[in-house]
Amino acid sequence: MTTTTTTGPVGRAATPLPDSPDGPPGVVGDGTTARSRASRRWRRARLPLVIGAILVVIGLLAALPEPRTSVTPLAPDNPQPTGARAVAQILGRNGVDVEYTRRFADVLAADAAGVTVAVLGDTALGDPQIEALRELDADLVLVDAPWASSAVAGVDGSGGAPGDEPRPASCADPDARAAGEIVSPGTLSGPPGATVCFPPADGADGTGAYVVTQVDGRRVAVLASALPLTNHSLAEAGNAALALRVLGRSEHLVWYIPSWQDPWNGTTPDDESLSSTMPPWTGPLMLMLGLVGLVAAVWRGRRFGPLVVEPLPVVVRSGETTRGRGRLYRRARAHGHAAAALRAAAAARCASRLGLPRSAGATELVDAIAHAIGRDPRAVADLLYGPPPHDDPGLARLAAYLDDLESEVHRS
Amino acid sequence: MALTWRAVLLAALGIPVVLLVPLTGTVIVWAVFVALACAVDAALAASPRQVAVARAVPASVRLDEPATCTVTLTNVGRRRLRARVRDAWPPSAGVLAAAGLTPGTDAAARTHPDRHDVTLAPGEARRVRTALRPTRRGDLHADRVTIRAFGPLGLAARQASVTVPARLRVLPPFRSRRHLPSRLARLRELDGRAAVQVRGAGTEFDSLREYVIGDDVRSIDWRATARRADVVVRTWRPERDRRVMIVLDTGRTSAVRVQDEPRLDAGIEAALLLAALAQHAGDRVELLAYDRRVRARVAGASGPRLMPELADQLAVARPELVETDWPGVVAQVRARMSQRALVVLVTALEPAVVEHGLLDVVPGLADRHQVVLASVIDPEVAALARRRQDATEVFDAAAAERGALERAAVAARLRQRGVEVVEGLPDELAPRLADTYLALKAAGRL
Repeated sequence: MTTTTTTGPVGRAATPLPDSPDGPPGVVGDGTTARSRASRRWRRARLPLVIGAILVVIGLLAALPEPRTSVTPLAPDNPQPTGARAVAQILGRNGVDVEYTRRFADVLAADAAGVTVAVLGDTALGDPQIEALRELDADLVLVDAPWASSAVAGVDGSGGAPGDEPRPASCADPDARAAGEIVSPGTLSGPPGATVCFPPADGADGTGAYVVTQVDGRRVAVLASALPLTNHSLAEAGNAALALRVLGRSEHLVWYIPSWQDPWNGTTPDDESLSSTMPPWTGPLMLMLGLVGLVAAVWRGRRFGPLVVEPLPVVVRSGETTRGRGRLYRRARAHGHAAAALRAAAAARCASRLGLPRSAGATELVDAIAHAIGRDPRAVADLLYGPPPHDDPGLARLAAYLDDLESEVHRS
Repeated sequence: MALTWRAVLLAALGIPVVLLVPLTGTVIVWAVFVALACAVDAALAASPRQVAVARAVPASVRLDEPATCTVTLTNVGRRRLRARVRDAWPPSAGVLAAAGLTPGTDAAARTHPDRHDVTLAPGEARRVRTALRPTRRGDLHADRVTIRAFGPLGLAARQASVTVPARLRVLPPFRSRRHLPSRLARLRELDGRAAVQVRGAGTEFDSLREYVIGDDVRSIDWRATARRADVVVRTWRPERDRRVMIVLDTGRTSAVRVQDEPRLDAGIEAALLLAALAQHAGDRVELLAYDRRVRARVAGASGPRLMPELADQLAVARPELVETDWPGVVAQVRARMSQRALVVLVTALEPAVVEHGLLDVVPGLADRHQVVLASVIDPEVAALARRRQDATEVFDAAAAERGALERAAVAARLRQRGVEVVEGLPDELAPRLADTYLALKAAGRL
């Protein structure tokens, strides 16, 4: 700094500073260097960075391909007794690609000839799904799905039957014969031409726990109960053999457990329709708008210097103690005390208005007031020195009477 | 590092680009482009740490009166500085209020009147001014000066906050000075009155003058009349060079807000008016602000130095949330006042407080001095006493009446001990105290 120049004033006065050998007056810089700023920023960012890193590590650990399990009955990832992880794992180990889904859209997507679709339970199925099941090209295995099997294959459930005893195959189906005996409750009756196996011990003809039939050129196998598939019962009798043979007929098995949360309602899924109707630049445009928003956030978010703090003075509201005392009177229901205060104040004001000395007695005051306003001295005495009120209305009445008395005295 | 609206605009210019080339890659390339442009612009900006900043404020200003803070910025770097400067002050400096009163300011200057745009060539200096209108008594300390230096493209800026100390002492407003001329006129009336009208224990002989019709014949000085041809009367004047000690109670009762102002502020107004009056009357005024220790003291100042000194000391007095130590007050008064003096206690007439503190020590004080107790009364209590809407309000009214009765009783006890009690609303207390002073002076009770 050697010279001091001025430019024309733009709104404000531009004034030259006196030249001085010591340089310009004032404070230069905020006492920081690039290095100190960097180290301060690092110190400030350290803790959030560490916390963020820990969170990322925890997230990664959680996302590691650990076999996940569920508690959904009959799910292939459920190791509970009611689950079906055992049969799914054996199938997987023997080269069957088990695709577990709870969305009907996935079933439709996987549908092809040579694929087996296993439907486990049908309480969550709706008419559109049943309709769509009939249209599938894939082989079907309907387990514990009386409505669906009736609609798709004409196989009807014909009442429950106990499943404690092993039932022999008693039919020509190779899968059933391979299994020999199974333990399963329930009975089914098939349509004409269907193979019905595993009749109950005392069941009618043409009933059994397992029905195989051909519908529109594809194989539909119906199991009366899901029990043979569960982890609990898989090892009993020939359950495992039947389950593995029925489910493992093709290389691709779609394991479908219907769900109430499935949004599919007979049309193509929403996300597909949305993305197909949107123009191709939508995604990049959203990203670009996000970028603009980010820049705007940085623009508005940077504070122009730190907030200025200022100690505020204490605020003690006036009348606070008086209100507190009033509240105390009220809570203690001290009508007598309150009335005494009102009476004493009114008496003091009347006395000073009538020019009585401070030492004047009660009778003197009552007489003076009664004389001044022309009322019965006994009434005045009763008002000023009578019995105290015992309730809120009585106190309010007394206050009103005292006000009247005072206004009359002041008018006189 | 900070961005400007131009950076947002630059980012938004990417929207047509992405419509032409709808690829995710376009967005990434544009983001990198924006970031690079901002970084380069910030790198080319002048350093905000290469600016010499000096602040100048007046030493003191009266409350509610405007002041100007001048910030001198000198570019000591090599680059041309295009910057916005924020001259930060605490909220009670009233920067916004001051801008609202200045005519001809545009909307931006109204919302941020403490921000100024400057362009400085290397070596150039410039002053910017911020109008202040303090809203609170006391010392006002300036905060930092923040400089945001923009790059040549105006996309990004570098920012630094420089600590430039400055202190503005905000003096009490002394609004009660409008009562001063009338009281001074009364004071002059006291001067030169005939002796009979103001004969008192301490009235002083002033001068002789010719008899005019209406003068009391008893004030005729026969000896002087004999020496001269005319009839001459003696005139008297109030005593001079009496001592007045004003004690401001800064204890917890002074923190109570009455009509949106602490009691202490009304007490300060009263103290200032009394001091101005007593100084004109030729008395020597001392002031003490005390709770458990001395918060402010003015002693030995006289003549034209007194009022500035008082204002300066009282500017920083503030209510403390402690109980006042009345024996300590008495000790302070004893130490300062060896002869009879007028001791004015500016405090609150709270019955409970007075009974347990002041009443015990008042006799020792009233023996030697004329004691006046000045107290701000609370209009809210009087309003509470008149309300009758429902049972709750009647109870409040009863409490208010009881409080008033107790206050009257305490005042009576104080009067019995020879203390003059002056009560008034915040804006009435100062003139009433002045009137009491004049009455005491007229009666020769000082």
